[in-house]
Amino acid sequence: MSAFVTVLVKECIDNLRDRRTLVSTFALSLLGPIILVGLMSFILDRALGEQDDAIPFSLVGAANAPALTAWLREQNYAITDIELPDGTDPRTLVTSGANDVVLIIPANFAKRFRAGQMTTFTIVYDSSRMGSASRRASQLERALNSYARAIGVLRLQVRGIDPQLIQPILVHELDVASSAERALAILSMVPYFILLVAFMGGFYLAIDTTTGEREHGSLEPLLSQPVSRASLVLGKIAATCVFALASLLLLLAGFYVGLPWVPLERIGLSLDVSFGNFLMIFVLMIPLIWFAGALLTVVASFARTYKEAQTYLSFLIMVPTLPILFTQLMGIEASLWMMLVPSLGQSLLIQGFLTNEAVSGLDLWCSVLSTSLLAALLTRTAIWIYSREQILG
Amino acid sequence: MIRVDNLSKQFGGVRAIDNVSFVAQDQRVTALLGPNGAGKSTTLRVLAAVIRADSGTAEINGHEVHAAPDLVRASIGVMPHNSGVYARLSARENIRYFGRLQGLSGDALEERIERLMDQLEMRAFADRRTKGFSQGQKVKVALARALVHDPRHVLLDEPTNGLDVMATRALRDIVHGLRAAGCCVLFSSHIMQEVENLCDDVVIIAGGRVCYTGTLGNLRVVAGTADLEEAFMSLAGLTQVHP
Repeated sequence: MSAFVTVLVKECIDNLRDRRTLVSTFALSLLGPIILVGLMSFILDRALGEQDDAIPFSLVGAANAPALTAWLREQNYAITDIELPDGTDPRTLVTSGANDVVLIIPANFAKRFRAGQMTTFTIVYDSSRMGSASRRASQLERALNSYARAIGVLRLQVRGIDPQLIQPILVHELDVASSAERALAILSMVPYFILLVAFMGGFYLAIDTTTGEREHGSLEPLLSQPVSRASLVLGKIAATCVFALASLLLLLAGFYVGLPWVPLERIGLSLDVSFGNFLMIFVLMIPLIWFAGALLTVVASFARTYKEAQTYLSFLIMVPTLPILFTQLMGIEASLWMMLVPSLGQSLLIQGFLTNEAVSGLDLWCSVLSTSLLAALLTRTAIWIYSREQILG
Repeated sequence: MIRVDNLSKQFGGVRAIDNVSFVAQDQRVTALLGPNGAGKSTTLRVLAAVIRADSGTAEINGHEVHAAPDLVRASIGVMPHNSGVYARLSARENIRYFGRLQGLSGDALEERIERLMDQLEMRAFADRRTKGFSQGQKVKVALARALVHDPRHVLLDEPTNGLDVMATRALRDIVHGLRAAGCCVLFSSHIMQEVENLCDDVVIIAGGRVCYTGTLGNLRVVAGTADLEEAFMSLAGLTQVHP
């Protein structure tokens, strides 16, 4: 038992002194919450801003169409009245940089309107410019078209003609991918990040304590110490798990602090970000971290060189995503057997915890016990690998 | 005392050692001499109980290595051929780690480390991380690590590899110190000149077979030449003996 502690402490101190290990262990858990929370807040702010804020544009000739101007104001447009001096090119209003969207209503509009003639309005904007000018110009165009159509419909009705005659098709757009939906998609990455960190956190330790040890020639003297192979391997796996746990703690702390800042309640989504909930997620993840530590150690033990181990393990850390992807692509409904699959069970349960659904105790225990059992098997395998003389390579 | 009897070991059809037998006495320094790939490291690995022989026995202090591996491991100090120290730990931490694994702790361990520091003259670099150490400094750390539990049997795999003259002399003094303290020292080498200054007995091994066991003095008689390198070459079957 004391040999186990000796190995565990030595591996932790040794790897704490390695900058590469520290970066790979903590970069993801430090940056993950910042990026996710920042992205969600940004998208939601924009989405909510679009709905609330008035759409600004400049107007030449407001006096030529007072009724239309009033209607536009009612439609939440912020109008700035400007003058177009005689003889100047209307383009200069935009190219000079003074305005970004300009609507020009000709002076003869009222006269032609009364005579039932068509008048051409001009919207000037620069589509190559960054920002929302293009979007506002097309919004303005749509608003003007619907105003024009309403007037046309009234005119036909006055003359006793069915307005449907001139509009055989009515297109109704239904864009499902609203900004709010995009924020939700990003939110669904939270469980994925939590799973990824469980595997990433111990990545370099799993290599350093196995392949690294052999490559630096310290494995042979280590194996000739009067210590059971089980204590050696358990110490190494435990050190891998300690780093993964630290990484996970950092990530969860980041989400715990960050998620309340995202205005999710404004799109009607309630997220349970209580301390107790995060504690449950942490406890739920402990068997998976053990599983990941043992799995990484087993695979790294087979690699002959550091580089080879890095290649294997880079593929391996994608493994936790596979069951999640599979069930999403196949559109399979969550059921009890999924709880038995490491990483899949955890991802469903974390989603349940966060969205405040009732998480069944049976599901929880199935996930914890099944993952622990598999982790124990992998640990047994790792000890067996280290009991063979082929381990010296 | 180390006794090896008819030891054989194959690696995937290749015979690494073939019926190797020899005895290394206490209070004597025994050299395991042979060209690269002769089976020196394999023999030492069997003695350190990290690999198992296919047949034959290896005994240390009367204990069969694989019957009581932990007992044997506690009574031997092993230094592998490329020193294998942890680069991010200081010299002292490297030694302390192996001391703890040997079951030492507290003041007893720290006192032992202090004594080794003096014995091996490592004070100047004791608390620096071993990354960037010279080969001589690394060998000292590895040696201290192997000796931390005061073993009666010391196995050194090519200890002089990459050492300069000063470091080689320092190593020789240490090895002779161990002999004087009653240890059984077994080391492997492929350089005849080193052996001459370092050891009392020689085991020449080539192609996995033992070609000679005996004292250094007797070696010249058996080979019929005063030149040790010539003697080694002829006994190892590497060249024809000059007429």
